[in-house]
Amino acid sequence: MASLFKEQAKLSAYRDRRFSGTQEEFDEALRASTTVYIGNVSFYTTEEQLYELFSRAGEIKKIIMGLDKNTKTPCGFCFVLFYSREDTEDAVKYISGTILDDRPIRVDFDWGFQEGRQWGRGRSGGQVRDEYRTDYDPARGGYGKLVQKELEAQRQLVDYGTGSLGAYPQAAPTNYGNGRRGGGNYGQGGQNRHGRGDYHRKRQRDDDRYGRDNSRRNTDHESRRDTDSDMRPEKNPRFRESGDSDDDGEDDRKRRS
Amino acid sequence: MSNWKTLLLRIGEKGPEYGTSSDYKDHIETCFGVIRREIERSGDQVLPFLLQCAEQLPHKIPLYGTLIGLLNLENEDFVQKLVESVHANFQVALDSGNCNSIRILLRFMTSLLCSKVIQPASLIVVFETLLSSAATTVDEEKGNPSWQPQADFYVICILSSLPWGGSELAEQVPDEIERVLVGIQAYLSIRKNSSTSGLNFFHNGEFESSLAEKDFVEDLLDRIQSLASNGWKLESVPRPHLSFEAQLVAGKFHELRPIKCMEQPSPPSDHSRAYSGKQKHDALTRYPQRIRRLNIFPANKMEDVQPIDRFVVEEYLLDVLFYLNGCRKECASYMANLPVTFRYEYLMAETLFSQILLLPQPPFKTLYYTLVIMDLCKALPGAFPAVVAGAVRALFEKISDLDMESRTRLILWFSHHLSNFQFIWPWEEWAFVLDLPKWAPKRVFVQEILQREVRLSYWDKIKQSIENATALEELLPPKAGPNFMYSLEEGKEKTEEQQLSAELSRKVKEKQTARDMIVWIEETIYPVHGFEVTLTIVVQTLLDIGSKSFTHLVTVLERYGQVFSKLCPDNDKQVMLLSQVSTYWKNNVQMTAVAIDRMMGYRLVSNQAIVRWVFSPENVDQFHVSDQPWEILGNALNKTYNRISDLRKDISNITKNVLVAEKASANARVELEAAESKLSLVEGEPVLGENPAKMKRLKSTVEKTGEAELSLRESLEAKEALLNRALSETEVLLLLLFQSFLGVLKERLPDPTKVRSVQDLKSIGAEDDKPSAMDVDSENGNPKKSCEVGEREQWCLSTLGYLTAFTRQYASEIWPHMEKLESEVFSGEDVHPLFLQAISSALQFPLH
Repeated sequence: MASLFKEQAKLSAYRDRRFSGTQEEFDEALRASTTVYIGNVSFYTTEEQLYELFSRAGEIKKIIMGLDKNTKTPCGFCFVLFYSREDTEDAVKYISGTILDDRPIRVDFDWGFQEGRQWGRGRSGGQVRDEYRTDYDPARGGYGKLVQKELEAQRQLVDYGTGSLGAYPQAAPTNYGNGRRGGGNYGQGGQNRHGRGDYHRKRQRDDDRYGRDNSRRNTDHESRRDTDSDMRPEKNPRFRESGDSDDDGEDDRKRRS
Repeated sequence: MSNWKTLLLRIGEKGPEYGTSSDYKDHIETCFGVIRREIERSGDQVLPFLLQCAEQLPHKIPLYGTLIGLLNLENEDFVQKLVESVHANFQVALDSGNCNSIRILLRFMTSLLCSKVIQPASLIVVFETLLSSAATTVDEEKGNPSWQPQADFYVICILSSLPWGGSELAEQVPDEIERVLVGIQAYLSIRKNSSTSGLNFFHNGEFESSLAEKDFVEDLLDRIQSLASNGWKLESVPRPHLSFEAQLVAGKFHELRPIKCMEQPSPPSDHSRAYSGKQKHDALTRYPQRIRRLNIFPANKMEDVQPIDRFVVEEYLLDVLFYLNGCRKECASYMANLPVTFRYEYLMAETLFSQILLLPQPPFKTLYYTLVIMDLCKALPGAFPAVVAGAVRALFEKISDLDMESRTRLILWFSHHLSNFQFIWPWEEWAFVLDLPKWAPKRVFVQEILQREVRLSYWDKIKQSIENATALEELLPPKAGPNFMYSLEEGKEKTEEQQLSAELSRKVKEKQTARDMIVWIEETIYPVHGFEVTLTIVVQTLLDIGSKSFTHLVTVLERYGQVFSKLCPDNDKQVMLLSQVSTYWKNNVQMTAVAIDRMMGYRLVSNQAIVRWVFSPENVDQFHVSDQPWEILGNALNKTYNRISDLRKDISNITKNVLVAEKASANARVELEAAESKLSLVEGEPVLGENPAKMKRLKSTVEKTGEAELSLRESLEAKEALLNRALSETEVLLLLLFQSFLGVLKERLPDPTKVRSVQDLKSIGAEDDKPSAMDVDSENGNPKKSCEVGEREQWCLSTLGYLTAFTRQYASEIWPHMEKLESEVFSGEDVHPLFLQAISSALQFPLH
């Protein structure tokens, strides 16, 4: 309805560098999109919460959590796919800027989820913005990564004396995930074979059929383990302690002990 | 945006555009000075933008009207074109049934009359044309009374424009406007009162009130007549044209050409009764009935605001909500700064809640009104939040009378609202609900609010938020996780089922295919343990693997959906599958609902299986104490409806594409034939036909366009076949749904001789429970429990409430099957009258 206060400008001056196409094609993809990108999300927000909130805009086809590519834990963004364009527009109009887990979340049209976009693009595995932040945000891992490294480096310069050095435990390994790439996933299989035309597809309810298995699914959202929580300034109060049967249970048991 | 556009847009507002002045006269003069020059410079842009402003910012219409009056003094041609455009837009709106445009353009024309732009007699002719059309429509012989909603709408448009120009009309054409008002009274005397009992938010003494109470049109006429008696004086409509009266009288009047009203479909003289009901439904869908505004606050909160001023403010608010949807900042700003001199927070709250609760549905999703209320609470922190809280308290007091659909929306709104304000609420005020029986509507309401809050946040957070009423913790959903039957206990020996479950898990971790899994199940589990144990092991184990998150659940269903399908190919087995889902997730309402929704999405379970499961004993006993069965049923019906809607949209799109392709193909053939019959010279010799290269290209085009057309036609046929099948399945589903409701209600409803209305149900309950209620009363001294409804009666009230809600919501899909439903379900000898009443009120159609 309202057009008086909306400039006939581009939907977004930003064009995702991963989008393989022209600016015009990007704008068209946004205009037809039934996918929204949600940013400024707490690392601890669950899919269940996102489902409850966004299903009020309409019927949800899929939720894809953005994950830290090293730890494979949520790192503050996600995608929600709707069936209808109208519901997508309502999500952007009515939910963007509202509060979820005490944070105003940002909801924008997205040009279309493709396999691989669920991974954080920052050098440390999370989002780029979390590399450079200088503020302290407990819901997003504390300080930004660069600041954390600087603090760590400063700590190592302090002379504790020969005797006291031994009193500090060795830092827990932080990259054990690298060696298991794909090892714990259900979804190994073909890559996404759809071309650029993917984002033009209309509401495809037939996608509900379970027979399709030709694209890699995001199944790497594993629950956070104690060792992950230790790295965070605050322990996640909603961390599922019981009933968490991880498929790497044996490794978990060894590590915990 | 250019300067002149900004001035037009921001006229009447405080802001940088107009300096420090907020005086309408100054604004109009400034804007006039700029616009008149702009018209001379590049006039082609001004007219459409000016019309757009007037239509989309209708609370500023008097300012735009006055501005145009001044322009009329200098540039009659421009204003003539503008009046012609208004007329053309109005005719288009009438033809297309664009209700908001019709209403607002009529108001705009009335305002142009005030500024001496439009001839008064012309406006009277418009009024009389609308009124004449209305009178014809409701005439049994000449018209089609099923379309009374359209007729009522036209009359409402006439009445609702009068506050903007009644004074001028009474002054300039007193006899004519009096004649119009008398004509409206005559119209009201020949039409039927619009009983809205099925569309009221509250069902309290509905029969008495619906007979005695005036409907919206009658009430509006009353207000207009009061306004006329008071000399057409009201505070809510700005009258800036009065400041320019001396100049405006010199302007030239422009005439409006006649308008023509849309004709309705022909009356169903030879059709069934159901066809008549369907037409009325269609009319109500296109011309939604206006409902009298929700009255939740005492009258003294309106600070002696005249009834007509209340109406005008309500119009302003609804206009802003409609036209500023999608512009958050402006929407909140305009709603908080209407051009009236009195306070209206209570009126604003009532209008907003009227929209949230509006039946069958408001113009926009509940989510929109949630956002608007949040924004207004922030824009008016000293006034509006307390008013909203007051509204919640008032609605809470009447929760047992609230329509079930409206109640569900209220729960969704309130939980979401609180989630944006740290879940802060004086919960101790509601702690008394714990003394009420578990089926009491107030108690269930608080329980469901907390359930939704936990979903939007997490258990510990919500527990913390009710610290000042810790007893309410009893109403929080269980904190426990899934209920896995085959979890291993330390030190205990594994049962055979547990071993099989563990092996199944291992196969999943080894990435075994669904096909291999099926073979193993068929060879190893099924022959030894039979179907039920097999189903239990498979479902429980796979759900457990998928229990970590939604993504895990979706992955399991996508990868092993075939396993479920193989095990449960028919409805009977699918009901058992759903029962297992419910068992596994018995502590988590949300996960149960989502798992079932996904399973239906992947077509592992049918909508019929879901209906049958919802109406199985384990769920039926919960109908009055939990929203869970209704949420799951609602999801299934909604998905069914969405599938049909999608198919209809697809068919509509493909049909358009077929027409385009058909035209392209025909053009290609015409070109080829023309080329073939043309003589051309090849190497000096005369030859029939175009040159070979062109001929080849033309033939290729014919083939391609022909293939495209054929392909689209095949696609269209496929979609139409799918739609027909979906509609057939819907008929079966609806029969099952109503039979299921009828079956459970028949068992529990009291004898028809004892209860003739829903009110009787409440009375019976109160009488039956009187002794215990009195006992509780003396213990706690709480007067609210003195009219407690019994459990069985509350069960009946809740179930009937949802029957009405679902029937109303999906009426458009029910109507095509009405004859079959009437013959197979509604007309049985043992059908309870309350069952029929619930459906009748939803459809606004009598059943007997």
